[in-house]
Amino acid sequence: MGKKAGGYIVKNFIRMLTFLLAVSAASFFLLSLSPIDPLKSNVGQAALGTMSEEQIARLEAYWGVGIPAGKRFLAWLSGVLRGDLGISLLYRQPVLSVIREKAANSVWLMGAAWLFSGVLGVFLGTAAGAKKGKWQDKAITAYCMITAGTPAFWLALLLLLVFAVQFPIFPIGFSVPVGVAVSEVTLSERLSHAFLPALALGLTGVSNIAMHTRSKMIEIMESEYVLYARARGERGWPLILGHGLRNLLLPVITLQFGSISEIFGGSVLVEEVFSYPGLGQAAITAGLGSDVPLLLGITLISAALVFLGNLTADLLYLAVDPRMRRERRKEAERRNTHGGR
Amino acid sequence: MRGRNHAGIDAGIRRRIRISAALCTVLCAGLLLTAGCKGKDDVPDSAAAGENRNTAGDSVIVVMTANSEPESGFDPAYGWGAGEHVHEPLIQSTLTVTNPDLTIGYDLAEGMEVSEDGLLWTVTIRDDVSFTDGEKLTAGDVAFTYNTLRETSSVNDFTMLREARALDETTVEFEMERPFSIWPYTMAVTGIVPEHAYGPDYGSHPVGSGRYMLKQWDKGQQVILEANPDYYGEAPKMRRVTILFMEEDAAFAAVKSGQADLAYTAAAYTDQSVNGYSLLSCETVDNRGFNLPAVGRKEQDGRIIGNDFTADVRVRRAISLAIDREEMIEHVLNGYGSPAYSVCDKMPWYNAEAEASSDREEAARLLDEAGWQMGADGIREKDGVQAELTFLYPAGDSVRQALAADTANQLQEVGIHASIRGTGWDTAYDEAQAEPLIWGWGAHTPMEFYNIYHTMKDTGLAAYSPYGNEKLDAYMDEALACPDLEESYELWKKAQWDGEEGVTLRGDIPWVWLVNIDHLYWVRDGLHTAEQKLHPHGHGWSIVNNVDQWEWSAAK
Repeated sequence: MGKKAGGYIVKNFIRMLTFLLAVSAASFFLLSLSPIDPLKSNVGQAALGTMSEEQIARLEAYWGVGIPAGKRFLAWLSGVLRGDLGISLLYRQPVLSVIREKAANSVWLMGAAWLFSGVLGVFLGTAAGAKKGKWQDKAITAYCMITAGTPAFWLALLLLLVFAVQFPIFPIGFSVPVGVAVSEVTLSERLSHAFLPALALGLTGVSNIAMHTRSKMIEIMESEYVLYARARGERGWPLILGHGLRNLLLPVITLQFGSISEIFGGSVLVEEVFSYPGLGQAAITAGLGSDVPLLLGITLISAALVFLGNLTADLLYLAVDPRMRRERRKEAERRNTHGGR
Repeated sequence: MRGRNHAGIDAGIRRRIRISAALCTVLCAGLLLTAGCKGKDDVPDSAAAGENRNTAGDSVIVVMTANSEPESGFDPAYGWGAGEHVHEPLIQSTLTVTNPDLTIGYDLAEGMEVSEDGLLWTVTIRDDVSFTDGEKLTAGDVAFTYNTLRETSSVNDFTMLREARALDETTVEFEMERPFSIWPYTMAVTGIVPEHAYGPDYGSHPVGSGRYMLKQWDKGQQVILEANPDYYGEAPKMRRVTILFMEEDAAFAAVKSGQADLAYTAAAYTDQSVNGYSLLSCETVDNRGFNLPAVGRKEQDGRIIGNDFTADVRVRRAISLAIDREEMIEHVLNGYGSPAYSVCDKMPWYNAEAEASSDREEAARLLDEAGWQMGADGIREKDGVQAELTFLYPAGDSVRQALAADTANQLQEVGIHASIRGTGWDTAYDEAQAEPLIWGWGAHTPMEFYNIYHTMKDTGLAAYSPYGNEKLDAYMDEALACPDLEESYELWKKAQWDGEEGVTLRGDIPWVWLVNIDHLYWVRDGLHTAEQKLHPHGHGWSIVNNVDQWEWSAAK
């Protein structure tokens, strides 16, 4: 079994490499088609106005103006193959160290939002599915419909307005308190700074999970084994947990790990609203500033994250659903007997 | 520092994600509502106390635009102090400083001499200055700084420097490639770095000899500066300065919730009031104006250069005369601005001859004279062509858009049909070769004037809008070559108007200047910001140039 899982992982690893190569090539050429002139967008008009032509020429060389895209891509790729993601043009630091710094902030935010939307989504979806047609179901469905149509950044603005400005319970932004030395920042302060942004992200992420869970739950509640369980007198949460949950988990796992990309996308805007210095903000800065190495670095990392999310979902299937394990084993046996060595 | 333009006042496409205007309005309306509901005594100071542990009277929290943060750190090589936001580097000392009237004073320097040919500058420096790591600052460090920057500098221009040499502990000599009389203005924004502690990591861990030390930098969020206890000058009154980087609406929220002592804002917020805060309006040379292509339309290398309508100097004068600047300031800036007559109003090199008032009768007469006769529909015509002009503005910059619209309305009064169109910076520079664009300038150096009006070698025309005048070119070249700074001011003035020719209304008028935009800040009651220099273009670090002299009145 271990050997086979190993083979499965290796196969997927190779798949991931080709996937990343395609993603980076595509984003690189999209970027090279972008009309943004790095010099004109990074060096402000007033700054250009005080420079000699000679200095402008030097800056153009730094930003790679006039070098063909193909050549630049190959140079970048050969660096990446050697494990060097390059130097961020804007921050003038290695791309990896910029990403590490920003990701350290984002991890709190995205992790909390991800767990929050997953747990709450499953809970609400299960409850709504179990009480199909009752007022609980209607309330939850209405809530999901509303949040599904709510952009995360709008909700973020609303939360900011209510809980940071009107009732100053939470800070208005940033990941650390204002004017406090790093050594004095407590964990609870970090959490309170991540709370509103995570809530904004999580709340909008809930609806998708909840609605899918709900329809699966309805399907389960109408199944024969639940009818049988009911006939034996099982009721309420014990019934739901005993017969529903394990069956529910399959679509939930897919959705939950698939939602990594959504959380990542939403965080770009939410981080902006809360002045939260994470990967999302860095991606915006890099994109608008034509910082190609940094943007590609972030693209690679986030693509890998999403890919790994999906892979994890696949592997978890095997753990959760015994039927799949059996099928896999059968398949392998078939191959061994027919294919030979 | 990444030289970006400014949120709100000068957003341009460079602004990061822009929350749509509608949503901002929702937010503002909400804020207004909450302000209205609150009792007078209900200032949420609790939040301020909870968030800010420095309740002593010698610390201050300042909010700047999100793009004021120097991404590559506090390294003078990568634009700290110079470029888009010209300001004093605070952490490092400089050889010279600019005085409140923008003449040159001394910081590290004690004396300065220039050779007759302008190619050799000799500067003597103080010998009682140490870096914050205890090492003495010598002429060797100065030479090292300038030689390093000559190789690596991004936005600060050192191409005119051949070599810097330390002659002894306190004397440094600059050998120039070409005469550059305004070299002291470069010195004023060039922080001196220690040779022994300079490396790739310097931007994040700067060591200097200035008024403040970098205590902490939470990237993307805040910078905490602490007073240098061994500073050679007057000890800073503000011991701790915290600077936050936020978008415009977040900055306003920080003020509303009492978390900031001073925060930038834009004219759009000025009709609001915040308990415990008042509005500070700083005069600037942060101007807005438009170019008028001074040559006829032609195609060159696939680009269109020139404009047949504005190629006639009488038309350009008429356009300038048709502009009512006071009205524009009321309409667009809620009154927070001053009329602009040049790119360098109130600078030592500004020629007051540029001043002009609106005269639409004279404008009509000039247009008549140029053959543009009033048509039946109120639009002038000449040879069957209507008097038309399109004003471009950087899309996303609401202030420039409003200025373009107001300009178009005013030109309607004299029979010119003007329309407006938003554009992006990637194409704006090319488009401005043929159409007027609303620009924003205003630097603490005459070099900007030079680059706007002086012709380039290869085209014979100025870089940003086609124009050229050999006589004025000569004045500017002479000004740069002039060994005496005071004398050079006079030459810069002549390049604007020498009694016969110039770039003013009576001269060639290839650019029309509209307004200088006041820089606006919410300031907590009791905080006294000392006398401010005329702020340059950019709503960023200029405000804290003199933060060491700020004070709180008795009770904070």
